[in-house]
Amino acid sequence: MTARRAWEPPFIQPHRHDVSPFGRRGVDDDIQGAIAGVDIETLIDRWGSPLFVASEGRLRENVRRIREAFASRYPDVVHGWSYKTNYLGAICRILHQEGSWAEVVSAFEYEKARALGVPGPRILFNGPHKPRAILERASAEGARLHVDHLDELATIESIARDRGTVIPVTLRLNFDTGHTEPWSRFGFNIESGQAYEAAVRVKASPHLVLTGLHSHIGTFILEPRAYGEQVRRMAGFMAELEGEGHDAITSLDIGGGLPSRNALQGIYLPPEQAVPSIDSYAVAVCGALERAFADRPRERWPTLIFESGRAVVDDAVSLVASVVGTKRLPDGRRAVVLDAGVNSMLTALWYDHPVRLTRPVPGAPEETVLYGPLCMNIDVMRRQVRLPPLAVGDRLVFNPAGAYNNTQWMQFIEYRPAVALVGEDGGHSLIRAAETLEDVCRPERMPAHLQTGDGTR
Amino acid sequence: MNAPLPFDRGWRRWTVGITGMNAIPDNPGPGLAVARCLRAAGFDGRIVGLGYEPLDAGLYHGGLCDAAYLMPYPAVGAEAQRARLGEIQLAERLDFVIPCLDAELTTFVDNQAALRAMGIGSLLPDRRQLAARAKDNLVALCERLGLPVPRTKVATNPAFFDTCESDGWRFPLVVKGPYYDAAVARDPAEASRAFARIAAQWGYPVLVQEFVRGYEVNLTAIGDGDGGMIAPVMMRKRALTDKGKAWAGVAISDPELEALAAKLIEGLRWRGPLEVEAMRSDEGLYLIEINPRFPAWTYLTHGVGRNLPEALLRLAAGERLAEPVPPAPGVMFIRYAEELIVSPDSFRLIMVDGALNAAPAAAPSRPSRMFG
Amino acid sequence: MSTGTQRVLGELLAVGRLQAFAVSAKGFAFDPRTGQSFSINETGVRTLELLVETGDVARAVERLAADCEVPAEVVEGAVTAFVHQLGRYLA
Ligand SMILES: Cc1ncc(COP(=O)(O)O)c(C=O)c1O
Repeated sequence: MTARRAWEPPFIQPHRHDVSPFGRRGVDDDIQGAIAGVDIETLIDRWGSPLFVASEGRLRENVRRIREAFASRYPDVVHGWSYKTNYLGAICRILHQEGSWAEVVSAFEYEKARALGVPGPRILFNGPHKPRAILERASAEGARLHVDHLDELATIESIARDRGTVIPVTLRLNFDTGHTEPWSRFGFNIESGQAYEAAVRVKASPHLVLTGLHSHIGTFILEPRAYGEQVRRMAGFMAELEGEGHDAITSLDIGGGLPSRNALQGIYLPPEQAVPSIDSYAVAVCGALERAFADRPRERWPTLIFESGRAVVDDAVSLVASVVGTKRLPDGRRAVVLDAGVNSMLTALWYDHPVRLTRPVPGAPEETVLYGPLCMNIDVMRRQVRLPPLAVGDRLVFNPAGAYNNTQWMQFIEYRPAVALVGEDGGHSLIRAAETLEDVCRPERMPAHLQTGDGTR
Repeated sequence: MNAPLPFDRGWRRWTVGITGMNAIPDNPGPGLAVARCLRAAGFDGRIVGLGYEPLDAGLYHGGLCDAAYLMPYPAVGAEAQRARLGEIQLAERLDFVIPCLDAELTTFVDNQAALRAMGIGSLLPDRRQLAARAKDNLVALCERLGLPVPRTKVATNPAFFDTCESDGWRFPLVVKGPYYDAAVARDPAEASRAFARIAAQWGYPVLVQEFVRGYEVNLTAIGDGDGGMIAPVMMRKRALTDKGKAWAGVAISDPELEALAAKLIEGLRWRGPLEVEAMRSDEGLYLIEINPRFPAWTYLTHGVGRNLPEALLRLAAGERLAEPVPPAPGVMFIRYAEELIVSPDSFRLIMVDGALNAAPAAAPSRPSRMFG
Repeated sequence: MSTGTQRVLGELLAVGRLQAFAVSAKGFAFDPRTGQSFSINETGVRTLELLVETGDVARAVERLAADCEVPAEVVEGAVTAFVHQLGRYLA
């Protein structure tokens, strides 16, 4: 890397009375030279920059800890791994080895789960768009169908009728917990009676049987009581149906939404203060379950399913980016251009991801803007972070970066970077190669009349 | 959790850190009032002003603060706060700290044990108590304790205001930030504007509260941590600035307000200073807010003979407090502004070093204070 | 070196603005005419000294480049921007 350091361009900045030079001072030794014990430079030498790096140990530890938070308080608990959060094959495989089922929301995700060897009965099939063909396959393979709307219900019923069978279904519900903005576009609403109507439809059909209830109240929920209320509402609905002679409901799926230790924009305090512990959520959920089922025998307590995504994977993956340029903005702020932007880490649009240097850099820290490589104004990785004067080649580590990035990233302007995995033994391997021109152009076709032409007329 | 506080020296000779040193004339932070109460009680130890912005007046107020430091904003987190107090501690040897701002309470509470380990005592609630009185938990708390509270809801989306009337909400509504700021909105458009402004500055949650017609009454006291309420002082604002802040206030005696606060403190087993804000309407008394700190009008507590900052230090020092004198309704305060002269050097030191009149860093060989 | 930059410096020096600029070692500067205070980084403090001492942008660049062991072209661009910044703030 570069040798310089002594040189920083001369600069003068007028004072503002409402900006304290000490206001954003963090902890100075915030340096991270290694990921899961492996030196970051070694990883970059091997696979280039930018680079996503996943820690297998952290991922396994997370899913065990989170599942245990619930399993130590409720007898029968299943974790469904939410594929959309991060569906790199190696990530999914690790979680399936840990006993997590697959939670999928499209034909693509379903096919991917099957390709990874997950049997149908261990796939939770959510989502508002399930074409008939994939419903036919999923029902034949015994997947759990979580129904989003009446048209889907009709399709499933027609498949069952054609086959002369009975297909078990789960209804997705929505309702107002009073703590969160209701995601009322998914599933059937309880307050308006839609959910009840759907249950009656199922009961009336000789080809359908209602075995489960599902709801997902949103994502990055900072209020544990929202889950307590969710469980209370779902269990209440379940009791109402059972009271009217519906078949027994054998699973309650509370969806995902548990927060990770990331800094959501618009939350004043940092995650260490703002994000409640996973245990406090488990206490809220399991306490509400216990109250709801107090007067029924244990064998009739439904299986508790949760579909936590970000809380499981977010801090298990980091993004390492390198400085490719530095500048002073006209308003005096320091700015740095990185080789990774919102094209790689889309979630920078909503989160102020914690960021660390990989080694100490001398010089006075100042408010700095971190830009990505795109020629778009929105390509901002951090709007302000206190950093010493950086130079080309310096590295920054963004963590948590594991949730909704390796799936929502886009091939826009730049290639998508590689993803490496550091194993529990400290070995490292590639789990997704950096994209190449060939990868990007492979699906393209050139019509015959466009075979030539290079810019000369 | 009982303290390595230097009981032997007597609270009057402690070194005490106080935050909330901002004092924009019509909306001062409580820190200066707390410092004045201590001085008025014969405190002759060191007061260290802890500020967040270079124009926080208290930092330069030589008569009240012996030294002053800039702190990182609470938004940077507990770790940064701890690190900065650790640096300050090397020079100042603080015995006690009194946080006075809503936004910093969470980090101070999280740092309580770590600060204690550095030798800095405090008298604060725990995390659970602090959360129980947060604005978004107020309704649940009041339901539990059987206290009247206006209908309150967390709003995550300004679209709420367009449909809320069909759910029985009636304008005007009060829109509130998680820590500061409240605006009375007469219609959905005003409410949406207030929502946007508050969310941009203080983040979420934003609260919506039914507007209670009537007048506001306030109470400040200390919870002893065992359910007891120490030396309540009550006040009604007599005149407001055009920003709606207290300009003058008068001590009152409202047994119902006192009973309400006593119930809260008992129910929460509150530990430390607090302020209770309530509305007195034709239908009775409604709790609208509980602040986990001394209010800006704390100096009135000295005026009525129930100097609460003094009581706080006595309590921390393990003293048994005497019965408070009877409250003195009718005693007033009038807030006025005064200019401080600040030398160019003082301002430079705050801007460059973030410190003013720092004590010379204690030499490692300094004899143990227990015998000093 | 652009003559524009030298002109800006010349004007500031001619009316005594830079000489009156009180700069402390830690980079706190105060402009007595406008009442505005500033933070100047270490290189800035040194550059200011050299500009006042030599009165000449090119010579200041030369000395700074030698001090900091940085190519003169790099220093020149930076000092040009700095002088224009001074011109703007002290106008
Ligand atoms: C149905 C469903 N389950 C689970 C999840 C995972 O959510 P999270 O990553 O917030 O845990 C999602 C995400 O949107 C979802 O839609």
